[in-house]
Amino acid sequence: MIFERRFLLGALAIAIVFPLLGWSEYVIHVGVLIMFSIMLATGFNLIVGYVGEFSLGHTAFLGIGAYTAALLSSSLGMPIFFNIAAAAVVAAIAGFFIGAVTLRLRGPFFVIVTLCFAEVLRIVANNWVALTNGPMGIAGIVKPAWMAQQTALQQKIDFYYIGLALVTVCVYFAYRFVYSFLGRAVVTIRENRFVAQSVGIWPYSYSLLAFVVASAMAGVAGAFYAHYVSYVGPEVFGFPFMISMIIMVLLGGKGTLIGPVIGPVIVVLLEEYLRDFKDLRFSIFGLVIVAVVLFVPQGLMGFVAARREQYARK
Amino acid sequence: MSMLLELTGIEAAYGKLKALHGVSFSVAQAEIVALLGANGAGKSTTLRVISGLMKASAGNVVFNGKPIANLRPDLILKLGIAHCPEERHVWPEMTVEENLRLGGYTCSSKTELEQRLEKVVQPFARLRERYRQLAGTLSGGEQQMLAIARALMSSPRLLLLDEPSLGLAPRITQELLDIFRQLRDGGMTIVLVEQNVHNALSVASRAYVFETGRVVAEDTAKSLLGNPDLLRAYLGG
Repeated sequence: MIFERRFLLGALAIAIVFPLLGWSEYVIHVGVLIMFSIMLATGFNLIVGYVGEFSLGHTAFLGIGAYTAALLSSSLGMPIFFNIAAAAVVAAIAGFFIGAVTLRLRGPFFVIVTLCFAEVLRIVANNWVALTNGPMGIAGIVKPAWMAQQTALQQKIDFYYIGLALVTVCVYFAYRFVYSFLGRAVVTIRENRFVAQSVGIWPYSYSLLAFVVASAMAGVAGAFYAHYVSYVGPEVFGFPFMISMIIMVLLGGKGTLIGPVIGPVIVVLLEEYLRDFKDLRFSIFGLVIVAVVLFVPQGLMGFVAARREQYARK
Repeated sequence: MSMLLELTGIEAAYGKLKALHGVSFSVAQAEIVALLGANGAGKSTTLRVISGLMKASAGNVVFNGKPIANLRPDLILKLGIAHCPEERHVWPEMTVEENLRLGGYTCSSKTELEQRLEKVVQPFARLRERYRQLAGTLSGGEQQMLAIARALMSSPRLLLLDEPSLGLAPRITQELLDIFRQLRDGGMTIVLVEQNVHNALSVASRAYVFETGRVVAEDTAKSLLGNPDLLRAYLGG
């Protein structure tokens, strides 16, 4: 807990200083993508790492958040921070209803049904042309007014700091959740559902709470993304985002708070580095997952924690 | 004698496999009752039905005058029934103290939780010594004690114990049996599922013998112990 707190505060300090070092626009862009990914991974980790169920439909909430922000911005001209808050609320409400249905199932059934929800939403986004503009997506989401006079680099730096602020809020929420009595209860459910019930913990309601929080975080990430790229299309519901989320959380270490912070850093950098390989990079990612599952099944942070424990025992 | 717990005609099934065929029995206040029987006789299933971890397809469970069949397990716990499941599951990554605190999950008052903690660890000297140790590093006997102490944290009136002596050394088992006697003397009612008949009958006042999902015999512990033929017939020893 203390190690986690120190690590996270250290990472925050580095992240604050980072853009001041005179990087190019591209490097800051990668930083923004990392911020976006940490929000997603932190939320997703609450479900995979703490509730212990594997959702394949977390992109549903990313998409809902992105479309909420896009619609509010393009048709009502609402400002970015309002849209992000609204996206969190709408995604949380969607998370409540989808979670209420899916969390009655467990294991493979939960996986399949969550995947179905995301797929259904993708099809809806593709076909409800009147609302979502179909496959064309919603373009021209306005950037905040204060950015109008800024250079492209300065705009990216602003987005970077907005992202960092949102990440800080998400990770702080996750931290408070995990180390609260509620979080403990959720972990006991993951460890042994039967025993959790025997001490009076009702698994369904606690899992649902974690699911709603995770959905809200994905919604925030979606809204941030929509404003950053100023375009939202049905692909936000697509499977590639899901795959990235899975790799980030598994590689970083599920069930830890640091894992979903370092996982995205590695994966985003790798994605950028492997850009030259085009479609081949998905195969490379596949190999990365296989290697993680085989050699560090608890992810990098799980590996570090095990080493620290060994060291402490000596 | 007024009964604290009464089961009548309980039936329950795992999918299509019927595990209980009309089980009926009753338990009085501050009494230890043993449920005896071979593997698969339906003893553990009966406990699960009482604590709500499993739904009964027919029959009634009445606790303290209230029907509780098919209530949610957390609500049943709040009414005063704690279930200590078999195989002594503790949360290995948490300390003894954290395990115990989670046992008092339903208790909302902080001061009461502290009082319960103090009271619960009283009979378990071994747990007091290992208060800040991770539960996963405890020995089998200590883990069993922790599981029982955790169940007691909900301050129950009725404690359901599922094979508490399974895989434990005889000395530890005796220690546990002593603790059960202490608890009973303090007014606790216990339903004890055991395969080790002699251990069970040494603390219980009465016992019910289960066979393939039915209660086939009921008697006081004393007369069962004095009737080795009956024990052999049902329990093979």
